[in-house]
This record gives sequence, C-alpha cells and structure tokens, in this order.
Amino acid sequence: IMLAAAQKLGAGLSTFGLAGAGVGIGFIFGSLILGTARNPSLKDDMFRYAILGFALTEAIALFALMIAFLILF
Amino acid sequence: NIIMLSPLEQFQVIPVIPLRFGAIDLSITNVTIIMGVMLFIVVLFTQALKSKDGTYKIIPNSWQIVVESIYKLILSLVTDNIQSKEAQRFFPLVFTVFFGILIINLTGLVPYSFTLTSHLIVTFAVSLSVFIGINIICARKHGMKMFSLFLPPGTSIGLAFLLVPIEFISYIFKPISLSIRLFANMMAGHTLLKVIAGFAFALVTASGGLFIVHLVPLLILIPLFGLELGVALIQSFVFSVLISIYLNDALNLH
Repeated sequence: IMLAAAQKLGAGLSTFGLAGAGVGIGFIFGSLILGTARNPSLKDDMFRYAILGFALTEAIALFALMIAFLILF
Repeated sequence: NIIMLSPLEQFQVIPVIPLRFGAIDLSITNVTIIMGVMLFIVVLFTQALKSKDGTYKIIPNSWQIVVESIYKLILSLVTDNIQSKEAQRFFPLVFTVFFGILIINLTGLVPYSFTLTSHLIVTFAVSLSVFIGINIICARKHGMKMFSLFLPPGTSIGLAFLLVPIEFISYIFKPISLSIRLFANMMAGHTLLKVIAGFAFALVTASGGLFIVHLVPLLILIPLFGLELGVALIQSFVFSVLISIYLNDALNLH
C-alpha cells in the first residue's frame, strides 16, 4: 500500500517539469508572431522553424511526462 | 464483461497465431497484422497511382498530388539542410524514414489499432541504425579527423578540456533523444486519449444523473484527436529534419 501511495505521489510531483516546457513553447510562438510582424514572409521559413522548435520543446515536456508514467505504472 | 485495466494496456503485444520453434518465437501477433496493413498502405500510395507502363500520370489526380507534395517537401528539406555536393544521395533515406513514420503514426490513430512507434524498441532501432550509418559515413569521408567534431573551432586550450567531454556526451545523446522524442510523443498521446475515454466509459456505467455528463469527455476527445493528428504529422517531420541536420554535421565538420 505504501508503494502504491508513493507511486502516485512521485508521478504527481514529476509533472512539475512541464512548467518550463510550457514557458518554452509560449516563447517560441510569441517570437513567431513578433518575427511575422517585422517581416511577413511567413509561409516560407518562419512557420516551419516554429513547428520544428515546438516539436523539440514538446519533447522535453514529454521526457518529464514519461518519467511520471514510468513511476506510476 | 469489459474489465478496465490500466491505460497502458493498449500497448500490449498479443499473439494471435502462436508459432514457437523452441527458443525462436515467430508468432503472428497483432503487431504483425498492423505492420502488414502499413506495408499495404505504403505500397498502395506509391505504386497504385501508376498507369500501365509504370509511369505516373502527367495530369495528377488528388492522391498523386499528395505524394508529389511529400516528395517536394523532403527534397527541399534535404537540399536546404545538407550543404554538400552529394546531398541528393541521401534523399531516399530521408524520404523512406519520413514516409514510413508518417504512415505508422497515422495508422495508429484508427481506433483499436496499434501504433508501432509507441514502442521504444521500434524507434530506437530506426534511430540507432541511422546513427551508426551516419558514423560510418563520417568516418569514411574524414578518416581520423572525425574526432574534430567534438572540438568547436576557436576555443582556447583550457576551455577545450572542459568542452570535449560535454560535446561527446551530447553526441552520444543524439540518437537516444531522437528515439525518445518520437516514442514519448506517441505513447503519451495515446495514453491521454485512453484516459479520457476511460472517464467517458466510467461515466456511462455510472448511476443516476451522471449519465448525461458522459458527453463531456467525448467532446473533449474530439480536439484531442485533432492534436494527436497534428502531433503524428509533426513528429515524423521533425524526425526527418533532425536526421538531415545530423547528416549535415557529419558531412561538413563544424
């Protein structure tokens, strides 16, 4: 019983890492909007780099979530 | 009766036709069936559009536009990222990886299907084999000077002692992070869908007035499915972009 309780506690605590990832992807898309406002060549490169940056930052968030799942089950 | 096990239960490999030969296990599992479906879809996409003498049509129908736009996307990706005269030699590799991972991710979205890339062994196999291939390419082109990968230009000698182990560790981490990124995205996405669907299921079999509320998780499920579709496409793209960037790093030592 202690193990199951500790598992749930650990899984809950390890989702704290998602906060940094949330800030990160907000920053990326914020800079996408600013860059588009300066120079509207949007469809070519900027949107593609934004999606690439979003996927890479999301990967960090999912590393943390993966640890949570590994502890939980 | 349906027993609600944990949401990770959807990733189990279930043998459908068990065939064991002593220590060798060649059973037909649900994974094998899904792999056959995926192979069928890939062959269908690339071969069934051709006319009788094996050429694509000049005026494309809609499916051919899809294949041609994927071709153009990967070609621009390869020629932009790999700054080398022989950049187009790596186009079949990147196209195969991209198309394969795209079809695997998309067939995993169908309900009751199985996502191959949500198993770490699958993504790690692809990522490790590409990494070993990149190392062999780099060693063949640059010989012993390959170790200058770990020393960025213009660093002083004291900083170099600190920087080389860090660069080495980050180099080793590259295939691991590539595979874990795809694996974690796929597995977390599917687990999230399963958890919300489990909420909806628990509310359906609940008593009294809670029965109406079971529509709420189902309505949440619809945008989550859209997000999952987006993640499937984006992650396969990111995988192939990173492979071409690593190829660029290997061919032109920074």
